Amino acid sequence: MVRRVAELARLRLPETELPLWTEQLSRIVGYIDQLEQIPEGAFGAGPAGAPTPLRADEPRPGGGEKALEENAPRLSHGYGVVPRVVGSGD
Amino acid sequence: MNVPGVVETAAEVARGRRSAVAVAEEALARIEGGDGRLRAFLEVTGEAALMEARAVDRRVAAGEDLPLAGVPLVIKDNMWVEGRRATCASRILEDFRPPGDGTVAARLRRAGAVFVGRANMDEFAMGSSTENSAIQVTRNPWDPERIPGGSSGGSAAAVAARFVPGGFGSDTGGSIRQPAACCGVVGLKPTYGRVSRYGLVAFASSLDQIGPLTRTVGDAARLYRVIAGADPLDSTTVRTGIGDPEAALSRGVRALRVGFLEEAAGEGLDPEVAADLEKARRIFRDAGAEVVSVSVPRARVSIAIYYVIASAEASSNLARFDGVRFGPRASEQDLLSLYVESRTAGFGPEVKRRILLGTFALASGYYEAYYGAAMRARQLLRDDFDRAFARADVIVCPSIPAPAFRLGEKTADPLTMYLSDIFTVPASLAGLPAISVPSSLTRTGLPLGIQVLGPRFGEEALFAAARAFEAGAGFPDALPPAVA
Repeated sequence: MVRRVAELARLRLPETELPLWTEQLSRIVGYIDQLEQIPEGAFGAGPAGAPTPLRADEPRPGGGEKALEENAPRLSHGYGVVPRVVGSGD
Repeated sequence: MNVPGVVETAAEVARGRRSAVAVAEEALARIEGGDGRLRAFLEVTGEAALMEARAVDRRVAAGEDLPLAGVPLVIKDNMWVEGRRATCASRILEDFRPPGDGTVAARLRRAGAVFVGRANMDEFAMGSSTENSAIQVTRNPWDPERIPGGSSGGSAAAVAARFVPGGFGSDTGGSIRQPAACCGVVGLKPTYGRVSRYGLVAFASSLDQIGPLTRTVGDAARLYRVIAGADPLDSTTVRTGIGDPEAALSRGVRALRVGFLEEAAGEGLDPEVAADLEKARRIFRDAGAEVVSVSVPRARVSIAIYYVIASAEASSNLARFDGVRFGPRASEQDLLSLYVESRTAGFGPEVKRRILLGTFALASGYYEAYYGAAMRARQLLRDDFDRAFARADVIVCPSIPAPAFRLGEKTADPLTMYLSDIFTVPASLAGLPAISVPSSLTRTGLPLGIQVLGPRFGEEALFAAARAFEAGAGFPDALPPAVA
């Protein structure tokens, strides 16, 4: 179970650490299970939050090039290099 | 060592009695002298601070009226400040340079503040001890063998040690109030929607709020006044007016009903915390408040609700850190391995734990039982608070269930660590404003804090009650032993 969740979360847990992760997460989930004790009838219609206010859809200058240059893991000729996704042959 | 607070420093600089440069130099000298022991700062940005201080001096000379003229501040490392990194004390963001000021930093800058450095924190604000920082351990100024609280532990320790008159943190489940209590300073989490999160690295978006840490309630009110208010860059901020928080300080509590939280007084409470709560009851009664009892039954399950919702939101927010757009990229051939290896190397154990928990709670087949149930229970908790606030204008409970614990004491047991936030999480889930005020020192000399909660957008009543409590509590105005 923990291994499957780690896959979904895009994390790798070494086999040797799995028992510790499983034990810690089971204790936490066991604690969370007390939510089951709230009787179903106690639940209202569900959360009714205020609607999200929207700002006008107007173009604004972005933080653009400087932020990209400073933060991209890999750059080439002023462009961010991303891993090959299509046609990599594997 | 007399280190003036926020309001006093601003007044001195505004009247030309001291220059912003001199104030900044003194703060930098205190940090230089004392932070080797505490390690509250991840980086001291002295040169940039002095440049900002010179700009403030020019503005003061030009006649500008600045509410934070020359006030040196420490900023938690998950907030954007122009020209500084914002790493969240995480390897995955270790070189992240924000594109500019976040809204809070911009408002502080406009008001004349000077940023002296980046404060240590639990990685991505996940933790209650600052031990989850990927960079360093911060020590409590009252006892260097103990935690400063967390996740805003660096900011709290720096303010308690009087390196700076004020600082900023973020609070998702108690990350401002809990370290404030552990370090003997004031910490405010404003109402959800009161302060813009533009430029705050997201952890759990339905909970995160930015707020000040200071030595006095009055200083917190000043910093709050500067940062509060609607912002077009954060659609969750609201236009409700902030009133006059500083005028509210002197209102007193004669017209207030102060409700003591029944659920906080049960068995199992640390005896010194219980005595502290009794002291609070006396203080409010003596100050003329009508003291009543209120019940928020679902406060008992708030930690369970919180760890589902906050982790679910975190797993979603942190999905963006995949080695493609930010941070170190693992050298892997296929895309999936690149994601997995970049994230595995970049995140620390607690962040991984929360991501796993959140991924589980949102997974097909478990979503209704966990995330769905937690969302409904959260609504019931909010309803509980609405009923309680029909009987009381503010609600009082302890900030922390016990004084600061020893470094390393709870690192092997995450669930016990989570339970340190038992008194702060309810206000977070309900979106309420809450403030922790230093109340007493324990027999062994460790600070305790009392928390005052208000109804949504009820910060004025909160400040009135907190100031009255502060005056009655008489927390010692002494330098903590580790820096004395």
